[in-house]
Amino acid sequence: MLIPRKVKYRKQHRPVRRGMSKGGNQVTFGEFGIQALEPAYVTNRQIESARIAITRHIRRGGKVWINIFPDRPLTKKPAETRMGSGKGSPEYWVANVKPGRVLFEMNYPNEPVAREALRRAIHKLPMKCRIVTREGGEF
Amino acid sequence: MSQVRLAAEPRTEFGKGAARRTRRAGKIPAVLYGHDSDPKHLSLPALEFARVVREQGFNAVLSLDIANGGSELALTKTVTTHPLKNYIEHVDLLLVKRGEKVTVDVPVTVAGEPGPGTLVDQELTEIQVEADALNIPESFEVSVAGAREGFQVTAADVPLPSGVTLVSEPTTLLVKVEASPTAAQMDTGEETAPAEGESEES
Repeated sequence: MLIPRKVKYRKQHRPVRRGMSKGGNQVTFGEFGIQALEPAYVTNRQIESARIAITRHIRRGGKVWINIFPDRPLTKKPAETRMGSGKGSPEYWVANVKPGRVLFEMNYPNEPVAREALRRAIHKLPMKCRIVTREGGEF
Repeated sequence: MSQVRLAAEPRTEFGKGAARRTRRAGKIPAVLYGHDSDPKHLSLPALEFARVVREQGFNAVLSLDIANGGSELALTKTVTTHPLKNYIEHVDLLLVKRGEKVTVDVPVTVAGEPGPGTLVDQELTEIQVEADALNIPESFEVSVAGAREGFQVTAADVPLPSGVTLVSEPTTLLVKVEASPTAAQMDTGEETAPAEGESEES
């Protein structure tokens, strides 16, 4: 599972969820990709689950790129705890995804199989997404 | 590459409100600069400019007929698009002169079917070349027909027409043909994937 090797501060503020993605909006490595349509915190478990969904479906003969990294810790207080007495302990690692961001990319010779693999991966993600292609960026 | 005539109008009002009004009117805010001249703020017809980009790519030479400003030759430097809605928000145009050499990114396309059990990995989709502003190649084609595992195409391997010189590093890898991973390798990818993602983000 994706996790930072070393962090400067264990607990951070919640990442800002406003605005659109400023970069990484195009498919650059592979032929097909998954693009986020809504802002979301994507956890490392969700990323791994989506990746497994893709690789299990294509089985062999393809290549998958993960374009996001869960580098922001989210904290959580234990259940039934009174308010106060400091910030909770780190619970999740998330990638702060904004609309337009391409999350996964893949190369596979058979387009219908590739689309089905990405569709299965989208079901593992916490926001609305769509499948985009490298050529699809025309105006 | 042929020249494309576009009618451009000078812009007199600026800021996001004015830019949005321009877009609502079916135009694209643009700026034209280069050759130490003062920047000119223009608006281009949105549909016509999108058609030029679609049919001739970003390296099309534009012959701009500016209302009350004569005619100028320009190349597209940057196109800003909306991340989701796929329309052009703004265009940066670079002034060029006839006979001038310009450095541009030209697309590289892969043609042909590689050998069985292989996967084509295109590392770069564009290479940087220097060419006459009015004779920029539309694209370069690289063939991988029947290629076996380990086949590589670098920037130096791309056949360039006369008058065009390579600016990119000649050893830059463009395309490589590798053995398609087996099911077992795809499963072990569960271990290797984090390293890949980490290196991209760090």
